[in-house]
Amino acid sequence: MSEPAERETIVVIDDDYAIRLSCRKILSKMGFRAETFEDGAQGLEGVARLKPGLAVVDLKMPGISGMEVIARVHEIDPEIVVVVITGYPTIDTAVAAMKCGAYDFLPKPFSPDELRLIVNRGLERRRLAIESRRAEVERALLKRRFVTFVSHQLQTPLVAIHQYLSVLKNLDDTDDAAAKRQQWFDRCLARTGEMQTIIKDWLTLSRIEGDRLSRQRVKVDLKRIVTDILATYEEMARRNTVSLEVRMPEDAYLVRGDRNCLIVLFDNLIVNAIKYNKPGGKVTVSGEAREGEVEISVTDTGVGIPEKYRQLLFDEFFRVEDEGSKKTAGTGLGLAISKRIVSEMGGSIEVESQVNAGSTFRVRLLAFRAQAGEEDNNRSANEFTSEEDTDRGR
Amino acid sequence: MSSPAKKILIVDDDHDFAEAVSSYLEAQGYVVVTAHEGREGLKLAKMERPDLIIMDIVMNERTEGFFTVQELRRTAELKAVPIFVMSSLYSKITDFGVPPDSGWLAHDEFFSKPVEMPALVEKIRQRIGGGEATA
Repeated sequence: MSEPAERETIVVIDDDYAIRLSCRKILSKMGFRAETFEDGAQGLEGVARLKPGLAVVDLKMPGISGMEVIARVHEIDPEIVVVVITGYPTIDTAVAAMKCGAYDFLPKPFSPDELRLIVNRGLERRRLAIESRRAEVERALLKRRFVTFVSHQLQTPLVAIHQYLSVLKNLDDTDDAAAKRQQWFDRCLARTGEMQTIIKDWLTLSRIEGDRLSRQRVKVDLKRIVTDILATYEEMARRNTVSLEVRMPEDAYLVRGDRNCLIVLFDNLIVNAIKYNKPGGKVTVSGEAREGEVEISVTDTGVGIPEKYRQLLFDEFFRVEDEGSKKTAGTGLGLAISKRIVSEMGGSIEVESQVNAGSTFRVRLLAFRAQAGEEDNNRSANEFTSEEDTDRGR
Repeated sequence: MSSPAKKILIVDDDHDFAEAVSSYLEAQGYVVVTAHEGREGLKLAKMERPDLIIMDIVMNERTEGFFTVQELRRTAELKAVPIFVMSSLYSKITDFGVPPDSGWLAHDEFFSKPVEMPALVEKIRQRIGGGEATA
């Protein structure tokens, strides 16, 4: 229920004094603010003023008919639940009242328990309706934001490429332009690569959202995954003059989860650590197996992440911009994907960082515990990584 | 011809976009200075006193360009500098829902990215002159 400070208001509209009195008593005892009115006109005025969550309306009253009151209540606010009281409970009147938008009806005479039950049920329905509408609005907003940002993310490199081409076309053939031309072609190629990465990351994210990647729960050795991933990035690390080190003393680091998701997760973290490192820097992947838990840390010696950004880091599309990463292509989706994967598997991910010294991303996952009759289907991680473009950091 | 070259400040977080546009404007005889975020742009504007400013709207995943325009308009010596704002997010400035007190002036312009270079130079020439054609 909502907070006690804002009690739900219930309006009772009935020309029968005894009904008004007893309803007020029962509803007040239930903790509601109960307001009663003796005819439709006053009742509607009260509904407009009090904005109740629920209205109890007598069908047979002098003046405005009960049916009309129901309709007018919903003109004021379609989410007010209307419960009808009727002295002549026939199927016809009930159907007519429902058609007018009533939620349920209460035949006279009714017991306090009947009133309580119907009011609680009505308000519960209202709560659910409001909640689902709110969730829907939020979802729509999020979706719109997401689409806007993805379009902007895709537009940005496209615009840069277009701008280079347009300038190349309009610029006269001077020596200066010729020198720039080669450089600009390279930039155009790099930016198309950026767009491809964005699209690939976006697809990965939607696949995880669609739950298709994450259903599998098998025994996975993180040591094997990490070693395989590092092997695929040896060349990239050499180019960036970054050294790679593994500190995983145990024979195996077993967790239960989706192998492909875990590969995507550590692939993201390791690529970031190489990409956002300094020349001559180092990437260290260390593992620790504790009671019921496996912890893998990926540490770089890069530019670090200023404190104000650390909370935002796992948001979709967030990317730290600074001198060191200016020309590094990234979609800002990688860490959002990583976080989603980790939480899907009931684990956690956190970052520690020192500006100009480096960052450590620490992933904690539940350790594997054998279940009866479980088969070990630990396959090589290569079948997935081979699909991945090992050059995606450029 | 004898007057000193007109100066243009480009504020855009996309280095490639800034590089392409500034190269073209330089070839047209303008002096160009470049900044890659709002604060830096504001600082450069105060230092360099440009004749015109080209301002990207969405920088660092927010509409930083609008904040920067407001700041520029609060600075006495920069109050009247024409600002050309640009974005690839929408094709009309009204789509952003810019508040009326955002420092938007009648001589400012909105361009949808990518920008047609000859059209941009034409508009710049109308506002501040300069820009000798290389032909």
